[in-house]
Order: sequence, then structure tokens, then C-alpha cells
Amino acid sequence: MRRMDENVSVSINRTGEPVGFLWRNSTYRVRTKPIRWFARRDWWLEAARVQRGVGAGVLEVEVWRMVASKAEDPDQKTQFEILNTTASTDGEKAIWRLVKVYD
Amino acid sequence: MNGFTHLHVASAFSGHYGVSRPETMAEAVAAAGSNALAITDRDGLYGSVKHIGACLQLGISPIVGVDLAILDEDGALLARSGILSHGHDRGVGWAKLCEIVSVAHASRAKSGQLRKESQVGIKRSQLAKILGKTGGCTILIGPDSDVGRAVLAGPKQLAASLLAAWREIFKSPGAIGVEIVSHLTEPGTAYSTEQAQRMLSLADSLSVPTVLTNAVRYLEPDEALTADVLDSARHLEPLGLFTPQPNAQAWLKPAIAMQALAIEICGEASRAVQLLDTTERLADRCRLDPVNDCAWGKPKTPEKSALGIDGNPFEVLWQKAHAGIDYYYRSANAALLSQVHHRLGQELITINKLGFATYFLTVADVAQMIRDMNIRSQARGSGAGSLTNYLLGISGVDPIEHDLLFERFLSTERSTLPDIDIDVESARRHDIYRAIFKRYGSNRVTLLSMQSKYRGRGAMRDSGMALGLEDEEIDDIAKNMWRFSARSFRGALGTKPELSALATAVEEDRRMNLLVDITERLDRLPRHISMHPCGVILGDSTLLQRTSVEPSGLGLPMSQFDKDDMDPMGLLKLDVLGVRMQSAMAYAVREISRVRGEKLDLDNIPRDDPETFKTIRTTNTLGIFQIESPGQRELTGKHQPTEFNDLTIQISLFRPGPMKGNMIAPYLDGRHGFAKADFIHEDLVPILKETWGVVIFHEHVLRILNVMTGCTLAKADEMRRSLENPRVATTVKKFFHEKTRERGYSEPVIKRVWEILEGFGSFGFCKAHGAAFALPTYQSAWLKTHFPTEFLAGLFTHDPGMYPKRLLMAEARRLGVKVLPLDVNKSSDEYLVEPEGIRLALTEVQGVSENEVARIIEEQPFKDIADFYLRVKPTRRTLERLALLGAFDSFGGKRRSDEAGEDPEVTRGDIIARVRQLNAIKNRPASEANQPTLDFQVLERLPTGNIEPTMAEKVSAELSLMKLDVSEHVIELYRPMLEDMGVVNANELVGLRNKTEVLIAGVRVATQTPPMRSGKRVVFISLDDGTGCSDSTFFDEAQARCSHILFNNRLLLISGKTRRTGVRGVSIMAENAWDLRELWEQWAKARPQFRERAAG
Repeated sequence: MRRMDENVSVSINRTGEPVGFLWRNSTYRVRTKPIRWFARRDWWLEAARVQRGVGAGVLEVEVWRMVASKAEDPDQKTQFEILNTTASTDGEKAIWRLVKVYD
Repeated sequence: MNGFTHLHVASAFSGHYGVSRPETMAEAVAAAGSNALAITDRDGLYGSVKHIGACLQLGISPIVGVDLAILDEDGALLARSGILSHGHDRGVGWAKLCEIVSVAHASRAKSGQLRKESQVGIKRSQLAKILGKTGGCTILIGPDSDVGRAVLAGPKQLAASLLAAWREIFKSPGAIGVEIVSHLTEPGTAYSTEQAQRMLSLADSLSVPTVLTNAVRYLEPDEALTADVLDSARHLEPLGLFTPQPNAQAWLKPAIAMQALAIEICGEASRAVQLLDTTERLADRCRLDPVNDCAWGKPKTPEKSALGIDGNPFEVLWQKAHAGIDYYYRSANAALLSQVHHRLGQELITINKLGFATYFLTVADVAQMIRDMNIRSQARGSGAGSLTNYLLGISGVDPIEHDLLFERFLSTERSTLPDIDIDVESARRHDIYRAIFKRYGSNRVTLLSMQSKYRGRGAMRDSGMALGLEDEEIDDIAKNMWRFSARSFRGALGTKPELSALATAVEEDRRMNLLVDITERLDRLPRHISMHPCGVILGDSTLLQRTSVEPSGLGLPMSQFDKDDMDPMGLLKLDVLGVRMQSAMAYAVREISRVRGEKLDLDNIPRDDPETFKTIRTTNTLGIFQIESPGQRELTGKHQPTEFNDLTIQISLFRPGPMKGNMIAPYLDGRHGFAKADFIHEDLVPILKETWGVVIFHEHVLRILNVMTGCTLAKADEMRRSLENPRVATTVKKFFHEKTRERGYSEPVIKRVWEILEGFGSFGFCKAHGAAFALPTYQSAWLKTHFPTEFLAGLFTHDPGMYPKRLLMAEARRLGVKVLPLDVNKSSDEYLVEPEGIRLALTEVQGVSENEVARIIEEQPFKDIADFYLRVKPTRRTLERLALLGAFDSFGGKRRSDEAGEDPEVTRGDIIARVRQLNAIKNRPASEANQPTLDFQVLERLPTGNIEPTMAEKVSAELSLMKLDVSEHVIELYRPMLEDMGVVNANELVGLRNKTEVLIAGVRVATQTPPMRSGKRVVFISLDDGTGCSDSTFFDEAQARCSHILFNNRLLLISGKTRRTGVRGVSIMAENAWDLRELWEQWAKARPQFRERAAG
């Protein structure tokens, strides 16, 4: 497993699930139903402000674990973990980070 | 699909766990269309009454449960479970819930002590026993249970056998359910969907019903941040050093989100529908019927048998009250007697109509019990307006003489139980509590609890701890937090000069920025539950089926409900408030009797003693109840009271309301003849002549409404209460205008009177309350005038006032009363009066244990230091401290002629050297005569040649070991510099002209920032310099110059101009302030002979 922290652009379906993403100039397709959970962040180490109403995004982040493969090489499946750092359900606005690759 | 009912919800009353107020959550679900909501606070029913009240108001069904640890037989945790009371079962479920909670707490009390470290929890077998065959509650086995842990980690059969065990133990109908929760955490961890799925299929396989909850801790996701900080406060560890909540999902999710969760967990729609359906069915079973389940709003007083009365309670009350007339009005004339009978008749009719006879008999019974225990007591509050209370011996103020109204206290227009508060000697308060428990039985009595809230400094301290700030950093910030709501902490940064350092830090340091944000979040949240300082709940023998109890710090059981919960639950609360001044006065009376053999009945001294009022008028009121603060001293100087009623008025005037309402100046102008009193209309003259036309008392408003509109006094009090609420005030306005016009008052009169009434709002004060306060004020002033030594001894022993004890010692010096040094042969655990003065008590020496003090008193007298050493067996520290403070000096004197040598006088230095010799002995010799291990004769020869400590050294030892300067005032150490600078003494101020430029110095003894009319902050600082107390006022500009000095230093030098405030009143308009010690260092640098001298 490799840890990293790289921008990816993700496309999602109507229910908000990722269906594919673009990473290092390759397009990946999600091959099985992705699993979602919410992980926490140590806001006291990173946040600049935590005033009332700042929102839960300071504390938690949405994580997706998915098995995907390149469009041109569908059998070469790999597990990925991608964060939705904005906790936004709007796929256009969301900023996604690829954090783990299970080689 | 319809709404969703949340069955597992912690409110903010789950201390250091829940975040949102029950009322706010009930409002939110009602607004979203739900028709029921549960509250399940951790370890108690703390928020349940507020929850029920809110639900009733919103028209939704309240459900109540508890979140409790269930333990195995060895006390190990099996589960943290929600336990819900069933409803509509005539209180069976509610009573069992109360019992379960009380049992879970009972193990923490052992032999009258509260064991803080032991966990709250109930053994599963005990729980099964309480529920029995009939049940009454449902236990939810959720993610935080042995089953929940086993589905994640253990083999499959283990989880099944664990769940089967629960089913086996709880046989009553609907006793258990499996709680399905997903906080959408990482798969494979607690509170994950995966865990929920496994719980669901396990429950299905064993046919145990399942319900969906969200194990709620907060209303909104945003509040999860606050929950993190509360977790830190609960763990007493900074964030990052304990396992935090997994994410921010524990919020009160709307129905649609809960339905989506159900589908995510169940995978198929039909199972999800079934899950939601069983959840609603359990909710239905738990909907409470507050009136029939919890006896909501039904007053409950002790049974007749418990009060020891036969027959009709009202007849008993009637007889007792009339018997009181013969005693209290034995010398009254016919006119007064007929007034008394008429008034009593009216009061008794009201009491009978409301059915409160038992209530009055109960309070009278307690008051009598307190008197029989020989403890000083005194009713306070509006209860002093009742003649019945006076005749029953509950109150010591004659309501007819002082013109107090019963209707302010009780009327048929209201039916809530009235409040009667009894002030007693603080030192005996706990004895009274125990006696009440004994008299009425512990099934009818519990103490009242209170929820303290996070306020400015407390919120900042816990926030600082959560962020891992250093203790010193936190202390520094706390020192500068004065009078602002922590909710507006960030706003205060820009406006309060003493916070400017923090404001800069916030700009540069991210942690400080966070500190401000989370302090604002914590502000006003419930912080912890503790014993209410004075409340006792008295009920009938069903009390413990109505309220859960837990052990208090005192060991006695305490209800989990607070004072606001009393009325809704129909519980009778009696306030037995410990007042240190009552203890101090009782002590003075005992010393007068011991030393002079004079028996004094303080409650029967004449209340018009001219000498006493003369003392008060000098403004030297330190130590006198209620009128010793700087502001009251200033007001005393302007007011110059001459009779008892003046004290009632003065105490009532010095309140935020009358100050904001600008009542003081017109009253003083009228009184001193500076302005002609304006009574508006001749009908108001009899009502307002005592206050020169100024409306001060609630009683004034009642009488004005009564005279001008013709309404009853009872109705008038209802209108007075409505005036406080602008929304209802309009109906009163209409009524007032109509009736006064009908009765022929002119428009200008109506307009002006209405303006006064309308503006009165919450400003005024209940005269009965003021009069009840004035009594101990007068009594303490009388004692100070006639028995200053005994009175000061009482003050030293019980420390009742707002000032540090060392200031009272300065007052003793001023009055020529000597404070005698410690002496191991004469000092006790109290301040004893001796022919030459008052002997310092041993309890002042820091670090000396209670046991040591008790041994010293028991073994007195001692013949020499070795004798003391052998019999008291003091610690080395105690022995040395006593020597440093001169407690052995009386063993000194001249040496025996055979050992006189060159130093015939024994110095304290010699004694200290001797004590150090003793302390150097490794193994303390036993005191038995048959153990001649050491030759004490040799040691008894005192060392010689050690010099006597200087005065500065003595005072320094006193200050550091007792926080008192006994030998001389600490300011004396700085005297050469003060004289050099031309500093004025406090007692010289009164002789100076107005606006004289002065420098004054002293020890800061009081710092106040009272509310002001303008809303601007003003700081009052009182300095004591040994000749008296000076009061300085700092306005904005002066604060900007020196507020960092004001709040951080004890010894101050202040510059400013004198300001005359009355015949005897002078204060100082401060311009600047300095740290006296810092000035001394600079000054002494140039004068080597003074170096090293100053202490303090």
C-alpha cells in the first residue's frame, strides 16, 4: 500500500458515488460498488478557525474506497482510497484527493 | 413514509458529553413534523423535566430514558445501553427508571463519602431484579455492548451466545431490543454500517426486535466540534491524547436521512421498512403521559403522619397561627390586634383556597426544629411579607410594622408553590440537613441539585486544556478576563484594554485563535452537577418514585432535578441557606456569654439604637452585613441612615435595577431637601412618603395599582408580574388607563404614573426581601458598635464578608482591638476572645492538618517545646512553621539563672534553632515514660546567640504562612518610600478638598466591575493601607493606561483626584496605577539601606 496525496478529478453518478476518475493522465473506471465512510481530521492541528457554524467539514472528511482499473486495461484492478475534502455532494465543486493505492 | 422518532438522544445535560439543550432539540423535531422525541441523558434524568416541559408545550410526545453502564457480576462493563421507560402505565415505567438510575449511582456512596473515582453503573442482575416479570422499561443493546463488540471481533457463535444471554435474563415483555446504529465509520470499526448489518442479522436469527437510532450527541453536525472539546474535558486530556469520536455523524438527523440509513444498512427496502416500523412501535410504547406517569404538576407535601398532626391540616394551621398572636402581639393595643386578626383571616382564606396548609405546617415544623437545635435562623424573600410566617416563627420581621404585603408572596391568582427561604448559620447547615432527613425519613427527603454552567474563565480553561496550552498561559489569560460574556469573547478582544496582549497573540498564534472560538462554543453549556447550596426537597413517601437520586458530596442523596424542575414536577423545595454572617453573629453571642457571662437575645434587641446608627453613618461599615462593599459604603455616606426602615431602603436601592432605573439620586435629593419630593397625586403620598416620591418597591407598585384602579392587591401583583413582559404589558396598560379615567384621575397624572410603572419593569425590589436583609444588617451593626471584640472574633472565625481576612484585621487595629499572636498554649481552632484582645486561631497556619490542630487543643497546656513535640507529634513542617510564627515565643522569656550565660533573653531565633534541632532527630522518641531514649534535659537547654527576626521578616513569614499580616500592616514595609513620595493615608482623605490631586497606596482588597447605566465598564478598586479603605474609580481612559496593572497586582499605588460623594464620602477618580513592588525596587536601588527589606 502506498500513501500519497494527489489531486484527482472524479466523476460521480446521480447518487453521488464515484464511477471513474482521472489520475496521472490515465482514466480509471470503478469496477465494483464503492464503499463510503467518514473519517475524522485532527482539526486542532490544522484548522485556522473553528467558530460556531464553521461546519463539520473541519472535523470529518468523506472517504471512498473503490476497486478501479484503467479503461484500456480493465483486468488490471487496483484498490484506491479517495477523499472528498469539501464534503460537497456537488461533483463539480468537490475537491478530491487520492490518498492510498493498494498495489 | 412518515416521520422518524429518535430514541437515543443525549442532551447538553449529559455532562461533558451532549451538546444541545433539550428544548432546542424538541423544537427542531417538532418543526420538522415529528410527533415524539426521546431524551436519554448519560447516567441520569438530568434534562428530562425540561424535555417533558418542552414537548408538552410543542404538542409532541415526550419519551424519557437513560444511557447507562450495565455491569457484570464482577463490575466489568457489559454494555452502555439506552434504557427507556414505558408510558401510559400509571407510572410503573417511570418509577422503575428512577430506581434504576438511583441504584446505578448508589454504589458510589460508601460510608457517607462520595467516591468520585468509582463508575456509575448497574449490575445486569440488579437490573433484571428491578424489572422483574412485569417490566416497565426496554433495554437497547447497541454497538457499545458485549454483543456489538463480538460481532466485530469475535467468532460468530460468541455474539449469538452473548445476545441469547441477555434474552435469557430479561424475561419481561419487551424488555430488550437490539439497537442498530451506523455513524458511517470505516468498515470493520465500531459504529460502522458493517457492524450495524451484523447486529441486524444476528438479532433476526434470534428473533430479538431491532430498532434504529442515531445515538445522538448534538443537534447539528457543526456541534461535533464542541463535542470534541467536551470529550477532552471528560477525559481530562488534551485533544490528540485520547481516542476521539470517529466523525461528526452523531447528529439529530432528519427522518429522510434516517430512512436512507435504514436502507443502506438493510440493503433491501422491505427489511428497512420493518426496521423503521419496529422503531416507531417501541416509540409508541414509550410515549409518556406526564400527569399520570410522572405526577406532573401535582403538588406533593409530606403526609400528616410525617408531620405528626391529627385532623384537618387547615384547622391545625389556624390554631398555630392564632396561638402566635398571643406571643408576638402580647402588648398590642386593640386597634393593632383587630388589624392583625383581620389580616391573618385574609391570609388563611387564601392559603386554604390553594390547599397549602400542609406546606405552611411543613415549613413551620422545619423552622421549629432549627430553633430547637439552637441555631440562628431567619426567613428571607417575599415570605417575610406573610403574617402567617411571622406568627408561625418562620420569619422574624413583623409585616404589619414594616408595611409588607402578603399578596406579593401568595395569592389565589397563582397556584405555584411559594418559595420560603430560611437563612441559617452556615456552619450548622449540614446538621440541619441531616436532621431533616432524620425527621421526615429518607424516602421523603432529598437534596436539590444544580447544574453549573460554563462561564468565561471556566470555558476558557477547559478550552485551553483541550488545546494543550500550558497552565501558566491559561492562568495569564484567565487573570485578564473580567465581566464579559465568553460568548462574545472575540468581540471583547477589540474593546478590553487588558486583553490587548491576547488580541495580538490571536493574530500571530493559530492556537489562540482556536482558543477564542471554542471558548465561545463552550460558554453557557451545563458543566457539572453539584449540590444546590441550599435546596432541600420535601415530599411524600412516593418521592423516590418521582425523582432519581445520586449521592452528593455530603453523602446524602440528591435529586437529579434542579430548581427549575421543581414546579413542573410538583415538588416542594425548601431553601435552607447557610449564611456565614449568622454563624459569625451566633459565635459573637456565645463569646459574649463565655467571657462576660452576659446572655444576649439578638432577635430581641431594640431596633432603634442611636449608637448603632451613628456607627453606620461613619461609613466604617467593614464587616457589617450587606453594607460593607465599596459602593454601599459610598451610598451610606450619602444616605446617612437613622432608622431601621432606612436600611431596608438602602439595601433595596443598591441593586442593578434601581441603579439602572436612576432611582438613587431623586431619593437622596428628596431626603436631604435638595429637591422637593414630587408625589404626582395626593393619593400617592401615603404610599411613597417613605421614599420621597420614588417608586422602589414591588409593594409600592401593588399599592398604586390598588389605589388608582381599585383592583385587589392580588390582581395588582399579577399585573406587576405582567409588566416585566412587554408582550403582556399592553393589556395592563389598557386596564390601567380605563380604570383610572373612570375614577377621575387627570390625563397628565395617568400619563406620568403609567410611565413610572412601565419603566419599573424588573427594576424594583421586594420590600419584604429588603426588610429581611436589613435585620442581620442591623444586628451585625449593633454587635460591632457594642461588642466589637467579640463581633470581630466571630468575623475572623467564620469569614462572612467579601473582603480578605487581613483587611478585617486592619479594621480591628483601627478600632483598637488587638489581634494576639499565635500561642500553642492559647490558640484554638476558633478566634478566642481574651482580656487583651483576640487570639489568632491555629487553623490559619497553612499546611497544618485538622488532626494536628485537634491534638494541640486536646493536649494543651504544654510546658516547653519538647513537651509539645512529644505529645502533639507534629510534622516537621508544622513544628517549624509554628516556631517561625512565634507560637512558641511564650516559652522564651528569661533563661534560668544557671544557664543564662551571655544571652539572658531568649529570642525567637533561639526558638527556631531549637525546633530545627528537634526536627533533625531521625527517629521521633515515644512519649512513654519508660522509654528514656533521649536526654531531653540536654536538649531543653535552648540554643543561644540567635538574633530576633526583624519586623519585616516576621510580617513576611506571616504573609507567606497565613496570608495575614498580624505584627504590623504590610504597607509599613514600604513606609519610607510612601513618605518620600507624599502618599496620603486613607483616613486623611475625608479632610481633603474636592478635586485634590493625591497618591494613595495599599493592598488591593476588592475589585468590582458592576453594571452601569451607560453600559460602559467601570472598575472599582479598594485599597487598604492600614488606616482604612480607599475606593478608586477607573473609567475607560484610566483603564486603558493601567488595566494590566490593576488586575495582576496586589500592592498598588494609585494617582487621581478626590471626589466628594456626600457628608462622609470621598472616593478617588483614578488617573493611573503602578505596581508598588516595582516602584520599591527602583526607589530602593538608589538607597542601599532599604534593599532586601520589603516583602509581601
